[in-house]
Amino acid sequence: MSNLILHSPILIIAIPLLVAFLIPLVGRASEKARDTLVIAALVFVEFLVILLARDVFVNGIHVYTLGAVNATLAVPEQFIVPVRIILEVDSMSIFMGLITATISLAAVIYSIAFMKKETGRNNFYTLLMLLVVGMFGMEFTGDMFNLFVFLEVASIAGASLAAFRIRFTDSAEGGLKYVVLSTIAGLIVLFAIGLLYAQYNALNMAAIANVIQYTALDKIALILLIGAFVLKLGGVPLHMWTPDTYAVAPAGITAMLVAASQASMYALFRTCFTIYGGALNMMTVGWIIIILGILSMFIGVTMALPQTDVKRLMAYHAISQSGYMLLGVGVGLAVLGNPEALNTYGITAMIGGIFHIMNHALYKGLLFLTAGAMFYVTGTRDLNKMGGLAHKMKFTTVFFIIGALSIAGIPPFNGFASKILIYESVYQFSPILSIIAMVVSILTLASFAKAYNSAFMGPELPQYKNVREVPKAMIAGMAVLATVIVFFSLCPGLIIDWLVEPAANALVNQGSYINAIMGAVVP
Amino acid sequence: MFVSMSGYSLWNPVIWLVVFVIMMVVVYLFRGRGQEQYKRGTEQTRVFLSGEEVPGPEQVNIRAHNIYWGFFETLKKYYQVLVEPHTGIINDYVIWLVLVTALGAVTLFLAG
Repeated sequence: MSNLILHSPILIIAIPLLVAFLIPLVGRASEKARDTLVIAALVFVEFLVILLARDVFVNGIHVYTLGAVNATLAVPEQFIVPVRIILEVDSMSIFMGLITATISLAAVIYSIAFMKKETGRNNFYTLLMLLVVGMFGMEFTGDMFNLFVFLEVASIAGASLAAFRIRFTDSAEGGLKYVVLSTIAGLIVLFAIGLLYAQYNALNMAAIANVIQYTALDKIALILLIGAFVLKLGGVPLHMWTPDTYAVAPAGITAMLVAASQASMYALFRTCFTIYGGALNMMTVGWIIIILGILSMFIGVTMALPQTDVKRLMAYHAISQSGYMLLGVGVGLAVLGNPEALNTYGITAMIGGIFHIMNHALYKGLLFLTAGAMFYVTGTRDLNKMGGLAHKMKFTTVFFIIGALSIAGIPPFNGFASKILIYESVYQFSPILSIIAMVVSILTLASFAKAYNSAFMGPELPQYKNVREVPKAMIAGMAVLATVIVFFSLCPGLIIDWLVEPAANALVNQGSYINAIMGAVVP
Repeated sequence: MFVSMSGYSLWNPVIWLVVFVIMMVVVYLFRGRGQEQYKRGTEQTRVFLSGEEVPGPEQVNIRAHNIYWGFFETLKKYYQVLVEPHTGIINDYVIWLVLVTALGAVTLFLAG
């Protein structure tokens, strides 16, 4: 078991990668065997992530060096910088890993039935596993260049999956927008990494953070990285691709694209806190993140309200909810140089923002799956053409209600547990920001009340007289997420103590991250 | 396990659930004191529209684009400004990226 834990960081990335290229072979022999292989691989990956999470919480940061005789030795003897590919998993990385593993598993279970009528499913599952590889890689890598590589893997796989149902004309458009903008963002990230490498002769995050001087070039690299990651996470005003892409992707993939966007948000936080955290006064950077967060929250929700395409409506809400995370963590970043403010409310704001990342991945994932279920039975995403679905789709209706109440921050659901932390702590920083956050929650509730009324309420429509509830595999996929939401709603204290607070502390404690790699270096 | 603390207040979903269940029981008891002659599926439960024929389900359903009509009418100008940049053209999206990056760089150099 200890060997399994030791090698788990690379296994979590390598197993989906291996399975991705096995799928075309296995799929030729038997579709059932392929589906079983995909689900079994992701169940095993989920198991490994949980094992690794336990290890990180008990023993601290887990460093894994590829190609080294001793996998935990980051810097070879007589070297002063790490030169190999290094995975560095701290509480924040594994927190994101848990989200990726859970959402991917639920999305795959759901997609087995949802994609049954589509052709080319071997390619679909290969791309899906590559998307999983990209997300885990971004979250576990301790190296800037590998961050870029995994960002590209996730972007290309994500764009291909968004455009997968090519028979719909808007699928190609959504995929094209995603791949063009992701490529531009990727090139910007690569350029910024080049600026850092040119100055410090290092690509390892801990090594760069150890020597960074905050020169003019570093400032340019930072703003380039912020711009690229905010584009990838769909923050306003760089959000415009999000509804175009999320709306056309198959429902399971949309849920995974939400998780992929959050991996970009993780990269943003890792850059700001871990690489730049000790080198500059973060008040200005914090305010940039806060302003982007407020814009995302408010413009996202007001754009969601008039939508009549259920997936576009949800996509704008994804933008809006990202704003809460940016706001919470942005406040923590703004007061990073002020220990008193950080301890009084900054760390609580960060806990709220980070808790919201996980909650959002769960309820938005669930909501996108319910939107897929609506499309599956009605053949449309247009809310104007729906109505009375609750008569025939009892399970989907309940799952939609759980997701909608959670995203609107209605007690006792998990969305409320994270939002209350954000409201109260942000209020100490700036009351107006907290009030805007509350108004956005009210508008979110109004928007989902509209979607619920249009799709599920009212008398049974004649054209949907013969519709049935979606297949069991789709219900199972939604049930996985709904169950986790209910558990998180009932036990917020447990989740915060075991997962969220260590993740927030990992971001704030830059020294531990650097020491885990550079601790062995004798200057 | 159940309680989360923000530093200013605490949130316990179990207490909330207990209160909610008690309220539901009170509502159920209150409901039990209502009209006993009510019979499902009879004339009593038919929609009454001033004696007019009730339209079919397609006309009765309130469609999504009709909901919050007044809200959107009042905020028409806000929405005109908001919708305008959403052109759907990738070139425009990239211009926004350039603008945000440039603005961020200026802010960082002036204030940071």
